[in-house]
Order: sequence, then C-alpha cells, then structure tokens
Amino acid sequence: MNTPIKVVIVDDHPMVAEGIQAILESYDDIEVLCTLKTGREIVDQAHTLLADVILMDLNMPEIGGLTATELILERCPDTRILILTMHDSPEYISSALSHGAMGYVLKDVPTDEIKTAIDTVMRGERYLCTGAKGSLAPPDGASREQLTGREQTVLLQLAQGKSNKEVALALDISVRTVETHRKNIKRKLGISSTAGLTRYAMEHGVLQGTGARL
Amino acid sequence: MHFAFQRYISYRFEMLWLRSIMRPSYAQKLFLLATLPLVVAVMAIAVLVGHQSRAFADREIQALEQQMLEAKKEELRNYVTQARNGFYFIYGVAAPDDEFAKQKVAQILAAMIYGSDGFFFVYDYNGTNLVSPRQTEYIGRNWTGLTDSQGTPVVDRFIDLAREGAGFHEFMWEKPSTGKEAQMVAYVLGLQDWQWAIGTGVFIDDVRASVAAARADVEARVKQTFYYIGVITFAALMLVFISGMALNIRERRLADAKLKQLTQRVFDAQEEERGRVARELHDGISQILVGVRYALDIARRRLPQSDKEQPGIEMLDRGIEHLSGAIQEVRRISRDLRPGVLDDLGLGPAVKSLTEDFSARTGLETSFSTVVFRNRLDQDAKIALYRIAQEALTNIERHAQASKVSVDLRGHRTGATLRIWDNGAGIPSAVTSSSGKGGLGLRNMQERIDQLDGTLTISSNRSGTLIEAKVPLTHLLPPEDASETTKKAAE
Repeated sequence: MNTPIKVVIVDDHPMVAEGIQAILESYDDIEVLCTLKTGREIVDQAHTLLADVILMDLNMPEIGGLTATELILERCPDTRILILTMHDSPEYISSALSHGAMGYVLKDVPTDEIKTAIDTVMRGERYLCTGAKGSLAPPDGASREQLTGREQTVLLQLAQGKSNKEVALALDISVRTVETHRKNIKRKLGISSTAGLTRYAMEHGVLQGTGARL
Repeated sequence: MHFAFQRYISYRFEMLWLRSIMRPSYAQKLFLLATLPLVVAVMAIAVLVGHQSRAFADREIQALEQQMLEAKKEELRNYVTQARNGFYFIYGVAAPDDEFAKQKVAQILAAMIYGSDGFFFVYDYNGTNLVSPRQTEYIGRNWTGLTDSQGTPVVDRFIDLAREGAGFHEFMWEKPSTGKEAQMVAYVLGLQDWQWAIGTGVFIDDVRASVAAARADVEARVKQTFYYIGVITFAALMLVFISGMALNIRERRLADAKLKQLTQRVFDAQEEERGRVARELHDGISQILVGVRYALDIARRRLPQSDKEQPGIEMLDRGIEHLSGAIQEVRRISRDLRPGVLDDLGLGPAVKSLTEDFSARTGLETSFSTVVFRNRLDQDAKIALYRIAQEALTNIERHAQASKVSVDLRGHRTGATLRIWDNGAGIPSAVTSSSGKGGLGLRNMQERIDQLDGTLTISSNRSGTLIEAKVPLTHLLPPEDASETTKKAAE
C-alpha cells in the first residue's frame, strides 16, 4: 500500500460519524479526509475533495443519500460511493445500486466489515454486506429497474419537448450526462423514441395535461 | 333446535317492538308531542262542527216542513171554502131533507177532481160515503170504525171534526193514481143542516220526501266536512312527519360527516404518531446505539487481542452482542410502526417490500408489478394505499385460503390504482355488506379511500377476490421543477 485510501464520511449523526472515523483511523491504509453532515455539503465539495470512497448515510436533511450519490457521480464518475445505513429492506439496496452506489453496508455490522467493504469497492467490485445477505439480495434482473430520481427528472424535461442541450442547461450538467440518462431511460422503459417517452409519461400520470401545472 | 332459535328470534323482535312502543325514543316523543294535540283538537272540532251543523239543519228542516204543511193546509181550506161557496146557492136555500138539492150538490162535488189524486169526499154523520169520485167502490157503504194501516181512525174523526165545524186530519190513505198508501192531510167541513162532512185531502209524501232529501243532504254535507277535515289533518300530519324526517336525515348526515371527520382525524393522528415514533427510533435511538457500539468496538480493539480469558473482555463482547440485538429490535419496531421505505422511496418499493415479506411469511405464490416511476404520490395517498395493501394482504392470509396473490400498482391518466388479487375463497357477502364484525377491515379501507375522494371496488366470488383502490389525479405530485428537483428527490 503506497497511498492510503481517501475516505469522506457523510452522516448527520455526530456519534455515528465520529465512531466510524475512529474505527477507520485505526487502519493505516485509510485516510479520513473529513466528515460531513449533509448531502448538500458533499455534493458541493465532492469535486474538490476528490475522495476515493464516500461513506454515505441515506436519511439526511436537505439532500438524501440517494440523490447525493447520483449528483456526485454526474461530476465525479470515478468516486466509489458506499451506502452506510440502518435500513435493511432490499428496496433500499436496489435503489442504492440503481442510483450508482458501489456498495451497501448496514451500520450495525461488525466493524471489520466496513473496512472489507471499502477494500472491495476500491477493487472496483460491488459490495453488499454479509450481515443480512438473506434479505439483502441484489436486485434480480427479471423485475424492471425503476427510474432514479434524476432519470425521472430528465424524462419529464424530455417529455416536455426539451432538447438534450436545454435539459443540460436546466439541470446544470453536461450534455453527455443527459445523453447517458436518456439512454438509460429508454433502456429501462424499453422505448426508443422521444415521442414514445412523452406518451408513456402522459399515460402513467407523470406528465399531467399539457404541462399547464409547470 | 332451529325452530327454537327462530322462536327465540321472533320473541326478541316482539320484545324490541314492545319496548319501542312502551319507551319511545326522543324523536318519537317529539313527534307525538307535536301530533297528538293536533289530532285531539281536530277531532274535537270535527265532532263539534258536525253536531252544530246537524242541529242547525234540523231546525231549518223542521221549519221548512212546517211551512210546507201550513201551505198545503191553507190550500185545502181554500179548496173546501171555494167548493162550499160554489154550491152554497143550493145548500143555503134547501131544506134539511131536500133530496134533490143534496143530489145536486153531490154531483157538483164529484165533478170537482183536480191534479192526479185530488178529489172531494162526502160522508153523512152516520158514516156512509156519499161522494168518492176517484174511488167509487166506497160510495153508498157505511165506513164507521175505518182505520188506516197505523190504526188511526179516519171516517169517525171526519165526522167528529164536521160536528165541531171544521178541522184537519192526518192519516194514511191509498193513492188513487198508484194504489200505494201515503200520508194524507185532509180538511173537513161540516154541513150541519144536512149532517154532512165534506172535505178534500192532499198527499204530503212529497213534503216528507223533500224533508228526507234535505236531511240526507245535510248528512252528506257533514260527512264531506269530516272528510275535508280528515284530509287537512292528514296533510298536516304528513307535513310534520316529513319535516321531522328531513330534519332527522339532515342531522344524521351532519353526524355522519362529523364522524367521518373524526375518523380521518383519528387516522391522521395515528399515522402521524406512528411516523414520529418510527423516525425517532430510527434516527435517534438506533443511531445513538450504533454510536455506542462503535465506541465499544474501538475500546474492545484497544484491549489486548490475545488475552481471551480475561473476564472483562468476555463481558464486553457479550455486551456488544446484546447491543446488536437491541439495535435490530429497535429497527424492527420502527419498521413495523411505519416502514421507512414508504417515506424514503415511495409506495412502489414499500408495497413491493410488503408483498415480499408476505410471500416469505405465508409461502404463497406472490407477484408484484408496478411502473418504473417512483415517489409520485402525496403523503396521504401513499399512507392510505399502503395501509389498504397491508389490510388486504392480512385478510388474504387469514381468510382467503388462496394459493396465488398478485399486487399491481400503477399511475395512469386519471390517477393511480392499486390492485390486489387472490384466487381464494372470496369474501362472504355478509362481510362485504359492512355490517358484520369481519367487515371492519373493509370499512377501514373504504374510509381511508373516502378521505382521498378515491374509489374502492371489491369484487369477490368463489374463485377469488379483486380489491381495487383508486385515487384521483389530485393526489399525484405535479412534475418537479428542475430547480427544486435536487431538494425533492432527496425525500
């Protein structure tokens, strides 16, 4: 190990954040850059901190962990995000993975496992915690993947007839990112045309009327 | 056994009926209070009016009868006087035994017939008929002691009146025109020189008939008055009854609305409290417990790893273990109170989780399908539909004996619909009618969906049950603005 793994801890509970920091600092190959309290803080600072791994809580004020994950990855796609939470429902795991998280660890697993998880995602592999493997099965390919919050937003923008460029401008992201989202949306919905997207949004009550509510 | 039960039931009904008669409810009392005096007053008025109008009419009719009789009598007297004046030139100069003059007068009187039944008669004081032009069989025979069908002496009375001078007599007599007996009044005048009783009579059955008609008329009028009073009373009673009913219905509707509001408040309060406690447990206690655990873990790590025998370390390990148990317990309680998935990820994942738990618990073949959109429903709709799904699955587990269950949740142009289907035994109709105890869950569903202005459709037969809960478009969140996306999506 030449350079230590740079880790940022995002959790609004000081006791938990401090505890994790203390645990991680006991390893030589991990360097805790800082602990942040909200999703907003990490979204704003992610591109300057340039962390290798972000340990992210799910329930946080302002911006939740899932949205923060998506927003960070739009700018820093190389960051590995590890969700660290108390929620053990499989739905959270599939949501976390579909929003781009690399791993999912429950806060009450034996503390060694947090280190194992960090090492695993650093190798570029997914990590789902062992503590509750039974219930924490990865999402099965058969069931249709849900849109992420960001994808849903992009879909709405596209359904209103906006171009990739306009969407990128409105959401303050690159055109390439919009294109990626668009591709993912079309794949998830199994729809190939933009008109089809609009119709789908209308039929499912997502886009109401002719946009008069906007 | 069955029969005895039926008898018991009918006995119960009788008792209930009796009790409702003996001890009227407040509303019934009010109704009685309003209507009883009315009915009594109307009845009194009716009797009084009937009595008065009858008495008045009686007096009128009697006066009329009297008047008509007087007129008839006056007429008779005139006829007889006129007749006497007509033959007075003979009688006045004739001797008492002038047979020729007598015959002349008899001829004149016999010729004086009038109307259909009018004629003059003459009897001598011995009772022998001398003139009877319409009933000639009477002539020449002695009629002393003749009485009418009622036993009233006729000819004897004529003779008495004649001896006294003149007078009226009423009796029954056969009508010459029809041969039927009728009431007659006669005026008799005595010719004392010849010892003759001459007279004429008219039948007064027409007077009697018109009096009877007048009486019948009065009776009919009284009856009609009674009828009118009855109709008016009935109308008034109906008015009281209907307005009472209307008032009652309105009150009940208000009470229902209030009850509904109360139900909603109870639901709201319960949900709010559950949500608050769940969040408190999840975000507060369990985070603190985790923090404590981390602290203990670190402490444990700093102790020498090798010395496992040391009792302090063993105690610490046990403590950490128990703490983990406590954390899991808190998490379970929190999730039972209100699944975080519902608030954080939306209804779709929450219902999915619910069905997966259900499937794992019951082993039934359970499928869940939904659309790819997330978290599009407002808080009330989310909670209501989640609780409906929960209730429906509980019912299936307890009662349906199903082998397949499917849950479907999707948004569409008019709102969002949750469908829960099972292939079980169906819901007995007694339960769906919402009266039974078993219908409580269904009623809760109905009430929850009512609060959202949605619709709940339950279609059930022997091969399965489909529960369909629909919420209108107003409960779907409007599309997010790009600027607020970041904030909203976090929730």
